[in-house]
Amino acid sequence: MGCFFSKERKTKKESRPESEEERPKQYSWDQREKVDIKDYMFNGLKDETVGRLPGKVAGQQFFIQDCENCNIYIFDHSAAVTIDDCTNCIIFLGPVKGSVFFRNCRDCKCTLACQQFRVRDCRKLEVFLCCATQPIIESSTNIKFGCFQWYYPELASQFKDAGLSIFNNTWSNIHDFTPVSGELNWSLLPENTVVQDYVPIPTAEEFRAVRVSTEANRSIVPISWGQRQKNSDESCLVVLFAGDYTIANARKLIDEMVGKDFFLVQTKEVSMKAEDAKRVFREKAPDFLPLLNKGPVIALEFNGDGAVEECQLIINKIFNGTKVQDFIDYIPD
Amino acid sequence: MGGGQYKTSALVREGLLSILRKLKSAPDQEVRILLLGLDNAGKTTLLKQLASEDISHITPTQGFNIKSVQSQGFKLNVWDIGGQRKIRPYWRNYFENTDILIYVIDSADRKRFEETGQELAELLEEEKLSCVPVLIFANKQDLLTAAPASEIAEGLNLHTIRDRVWQIQSCSALTGEGVQLKAHWQNPKV
Repeated sequence: MGCFFSKERKTKKESRPESEEERPKQYSWDQREKVDIKDYMFNGLKDETVGRLPGKVAGQQFFIQDCENCNIYIFDHSAAVTIDDCTNCIIFLGPVKGSVFFRNCRDCKCTLACQQFRVRDCRKLEVFLCCATQPIIESSTNIKFGCFQWYYPELASQFKDAGLSIFNNTWSNIHDFTPVSGELNWSLLPENTVVQDYVPIPTAEEFRAVRVSTEANRSIVPISWGQRQKNSDESCLVVLFAGDYTIANARKLIDEMVGKDFFLVQTKEVSMKAEDAKRVFREKAPDFLPLLNKGPVIALEFNGDGAVEECQLIINKIFNGTKVQDFIDYIPD
Repeated sequence: MGGGQYKTSALVREGLLSILRKLKSAPDQEVRILLLGLDNAGKTTLLKQLASEDISHITPTQGFNIKSVQSQGFKLNVWDIGGQRKIRPYWRNYFENTDILIYVIDSADRKRFEETGQELAELLEEEKLSCVPVLIFANKQDLLTAAPASEIAEGLNLHTIRDRVWQIQSCSALTGEGVQLKAHWQNPKV
């Protein structure tokens, strides 16, 4: 019988003048310059240290494939990165606007930031991650995660270029598409893991100009505890409203609290709507509604006995004299 | 039935809307669209773009997403199904009553062209999808190394499709180019 389409379309074809040709629609990609893919690819390298300096990728896609025993440092933001068939590599990726996708890799140690993190058919990866959405793995084992920990001066603006917030990092809650009963294909690295032992600062001459630090207190992305077991039943939520110094204030508060041995559990930068405000601030919501329109809020969750009190003390001390709008609440476990 | 007598240009001129108009003679009819493709193809970004929603915080799809989009007299019910290898066997749960299949391809992921070609070929052999028009989106054209639609069409042997209406369209779900349904309506004489 076939599809009824056939008959109708035959009629249409006969009635339409044969010479008619529509002009093809012009898209932005029709007019751009062609690139040499070799500038955006590391392919088939062995025992080498290679990379890209700030400004040399400038938001393009990057490919890493068939590399062995290599150290690869991409010190720039990119659109998307795929890593295929790599073994025993050390990889740093500057902020990636889209997805980072590892396929058929093993024994790699990485530090990277991205919107989406995907792994398939991999074995033994250790990743210090900043990911804006839930990381996923498939058909992989022995994948270990820690929090992104890295600094160089250009990194902050590269995060902005990639459209990523340093405060949106769900590095520790992984979804496994192929879970195995009785086993875990992934785990979290111990909190005292030394990044330098896994993804070291490059010493090669070509990277001298990039002033890298892997110290926790210098990390562009605040180090968060994530889903690890909490030490205390007392948690404290701080919400900073949008303003000129919001990020600096958030960092200062984090440094002070961490310095007093409290844990930064998680952070979030999000546009808060009126409904969210009512849910979070409850009866105090009306006070804060006008501040929501100024921009996204930064929320910080701290954990530790006495966290609420300490937070209040620090805020009064540090932000003394400036107009402080903040909300601190005790969150029962 | 004779699919071979139709020139490629005639097939390409068929816009999504002209297909829709044939499917549903009365206005405000509901159309069921199934959005498939490999993981990381950009299906959910495409879905959000069709619905004119924010695309800045899209997470890998674990199950599926559905959206209803009103467009030029049609109510499109779009089903976006997760594309990981492990969950592709579940695609068949969504085949029934599909009016249009949209198959999304990451045009910049050449390593997986064979895999996506294979999945598409298998879909086109599915009984429950027989005769369903297929619209292939060659997505991620915003990426510099993206293969053009013509190259993808050739690599996938689309010209051998004889049993249904098909079309390939370049797009960037991220920027929205090539995604708007209006873009597909190329023949004003429909």
